[in-house]
Amino acid sequence: MNNNNKHYDVIVIGGGITGAGVARDCAMRGLSVLLLERFDFTNGATGRNHGLMHSGARYAVTDKESATECIKENMILRKIARHCVEETDGLFITLPEDDLAYQRTFVDACLAAGIRADIIDPAEALAIEPAVNPDLIGAVRIPDASIDPFRLTVANVIDARLHGADALNYHEVTEFIINQNRVKGVKARDQHTGQIKEFRASVTINAAGIWGMLIAQKAGITINMFPAKGALLIFGHRVNKMVINRCRKPANADILVPDDTVCVIGTTSDRVPIETVDDMRVTDQEVQLLLSEGEKLAPSLATTRILRAYAGVRPLVAADNDPSGRNISRGIVCLDHEERDGMAGFITITGGKMMTYRLMAQIATNLACKKLGNNATCDTDTTPLPGSEQIATQRDGAKRSFAFNAAEGRHGTYTSKIKLDTDADRALVCECEGVSVGEIKYAVENQHVHNLLSLRRRTRVGMGTCQGKLCACRAAALLGRFDNNIPKAQADLAQFLDERWKGIKPVAWGSTLREAQLTATIYQGLCGLDKAIERKEGSK
Amino acid sequence: MKFDTIIMGGGLSGLTCGIALAKKGRRVAIVAGGQNTLHFYSGSMELLGSVDDQDVTHPIEAIAALNENHPYSKIGAQHIASLAQQAQALLADAGIKTTGDASCNHYRITPMGVTKPAWLTLDGLATTSHPDALPWKKVCLVNLEGFIDYPIDFVAHGLRNLGAQVETPTVSLECLKQARRSATEMRATNLAKVFTNTSNVARLADAINTACNDTEAVLIPAVLGYDNDDACNLLKAQVKAPLYFLATLPPAVTGVRINAALKHYFQMLGGRFLMGDSVENVVIDGDKVTHINTTKLQAMSLQAEQYVLATGSFMSRGLVADFERIYEPLMNLDTDAPQDREQWSKYGMMGDQPYMSCGVVTDKDFHPLKDGSPLANVYAIGQVLGGHNPITMGDGTGVSMLTALAVANAINS
Repeated sequence: MNNNNKHYDVIVIGGGITGAGVARDCAMRGLSVLLLERFDFTNGATGRNHGLMHSGARYAVTDKESATECIKENMILRKIARHCVEETDGLFITLPEDDLAYQRTFVDACLAAGIRADIIDPAEALAIEPAVNPDLIGAVRIPDASIDPFRLTVANVIDARLHGADALNYHEVTEFIINQNRVKGVKARDQHTGQIKEFRASVTINAAGIWGMLIAQKAGITINMFPAKGALLIFGHRVNKMVINRCRKPANADILVPDDTVCVIGTTSDRVPIETVDDMRVTDQEVQLLLSEGEKLAPSLATTRILRAYAGVRPLVAADNDPSGRNISRGIVCLDHEERDGMAGFITITGGKMMTYRLMAQIATNLACKKLGNNATCDTDTTPLPGSEQIATQRDGAKRSFAFNAAEGRHGTYTSKIKLDTDADRALVCECEGVSVGEIKYAVENQHVHNLLSLRRRTRVGMGTCQGKLCACRAAALLGRFDNNIPKAQADLAQFLDERWKGIKPVAWGSTLREAQLTATIYQGLCGLDKAIERKEGSK
Repeated sequence: MKFDTIIMGGGLSGLTCGIALAKKGRRVAIVAGGQNTLHFYSGSMELLGSVDDQDVTHPIEAIAALNENHPYSKIGAQHIASLAQQAQALLADAGIKTTGDASCNHYRITPMGVTKPAWLTLDGLATTSHPDALPWKKVCLVNLEGFIDYPIDFVAHGLRNLGAQVETPTVSLECLKQARRSATEMRATNLAKVFTNTSNVARLADAINTACNDTEAVLIPAVLGYDNDDACNLLKAQVKAPLYFLATLPPAVTGVRINAALKHYFQMLGGRFLMGDSVENVVIDGDKVTHINTTKLQAMSLQAEQYVLATGSFMSRGLVADFERIYEPLMNLDTDAPQDREQWSKYGMMGDQPYMSCGVVTDKDFHPLKDGSPLANVYAIGQVLGGHNPITMGDGTGVSMLTALAVANAINS
């Protein structure tokens, strides 16, 4: 058993946006922190949503508290996470089948929650967003935006580290170390070596999203959660430049978000059993629903190639006195298990939304600080994340290669740390997203990259139109060289392609199927990747 | 315009068929959309590489045991050997020299560093006669600086796994500096253009001779020989050690070269190659096609005695899958595709994907069926045919060439 001798103030379980945010906040307040994630950062709901930076307008009518939280956090993220946010603005459109009278209710509710909401002429809406359904009869402009959850999470992790935190991905918590009704730390399995390690801390914070229910169980504590699956579709290019919503009571598939080079329609909402949350597959019914509703927002979606389908699981929490789950809260839930369950040194932060992760982190950190007797104030609402500092990048024309420009959108001010001095470093691995050899080296050295999956989330390799047709092989070869482990790199490549296929399969028709056949022809036919991963390694 | 035969599709099967017909003096037109799947070529033709996940050693024998839906079974196993010879001779006539034998597979070396069964391999490419052994004990695996479409570490690992001692020097050439500077230009076909200049080939040879000493063989990615194999031969002559090429990731220089040679030979034989054009309309009367219209020629219809459909699979748009169904877009021919969309594919990318085996249904003479009846003056050849999975079986190029020749021979007689 490998024991880490360091005694932490706080262990944070879960490397989604909430856990990363908690780790950052704790570290900024001077606490010693360890962040543990069982797979890659953003592997759960954080990496499987719209990438929408809600204005809060969606909740204005039904949940004023959430709406108010959203708009406050929205304005904060624009400042502290500039390099993760694209200020697109959004439209709430009314279609002929919708009730135009709802628009007034909606706008009043937005204004009451502090959300700017301008009613504009349908013709003007069509002029500023040509992709919108031309049949619209009403439009409201609101401050929605697009946000990259992968970037946002990694920026929080990096900043936590810069403030002294340790962060380990691919470490799965297997059990709690409990002594006299006090959580003293955790045991975690290193997923790469299988080794079980012990980590000790005064306070352990459970920020594992829907998996937090299972984590709490390991401490003998019941939290009544209801996994709600949300399915989404990504399209092969970006048809819209603004977020497009339906101006009606929130329903299925009524948000279309432009993200980087693509756009995303979603979502559905269905309760699923907790046992299924590690292998979410999108069904044909969900695909049909997303398509038919999506086309109402932007008709051109009907003729746009679908890249893939995916689904995330929202952690909905039932009130403690309502085991039936009818009284679901979508708000932030922070549980002090010492008070609630008599288990000291243990906190669960859950519920909420990606939009309010910073506030959730603040609430959880406040409680941890109280327990630890720490009086530091929270500065996460004013301190920019790494990459978003207000320092203008040097605009040296000669040095600004294509690779640099492409990387800047992903790494903000940290782009200058990427070595792009030689032709070899500037060579493009991924042409769809403009990812260079130098950027990949930077990600491997600085961003907890262990495989193609994590590399994709850090750099967008394989996320664009081609879905990893050639770039996956190029990137795998680079990782194999850095690790000096070719069989692992090839197995990783096969796994990566199969993971892409999992999202492609539900939408495998049209040009999506054509591209899939091409990919299979290259990797199975030409390359024999299937043979390579079955190969018995001989004596060298 | 009137022809004896019109071939829809200018890939490997369309060109093979066109050449075999034109050689017998027939007036042939090929309507070719654009790039074809030779751009993803491995450098080898494959007749039959795998049955039930087992490598095939003797393809002719194994073909006799295939089920009746396989295109080879329609040709008749007894005809495969002579058609295979005819195919190799046709390639040779077009200036494409290959080595191989339909009765016994040899093995090509893939960019993942594994061996795969092959029938005919382009002269100059590295092969081995045994799946688990190499003809060399000590090789020098050379790469060009900045060329990332060749996973050299994967290949080196594979060769070492087969018992070879492998050196992996990288050579840096000034003449590739420009290509290196533009991130999207370090592609195999762009490099091949640089090496159409003989002094650049000489520089490459010098660099290889300096980097590789005391080796049984030099292996380099196949980035020479754009229009013909002059540059390949020149390099071989100037490199001291025996030199062999290895297939790269696409675009494949070898495939582009084969494509160019076949097209050139077809035209030399008097064939009409309508490049960049596409069939828009096929007019059917009863059980016969009467004429076709193309995008470029619009009102001027094309007529022929026979029409050959060589439009390929999904990736070549010979088959189309939409939300509702899989269909053949030009004549709405019968296909063997499952009705239910969820049955077209399955989870597990590397598995036997059903869509891969989809195609048009034909009678035993390759006349495609429409509403259950064969079209008398139409033939279907190549990857538009169903009944086999070219990826898992390793029989794609073989089916393309042999069905093309079987149909050409039928028309010629």
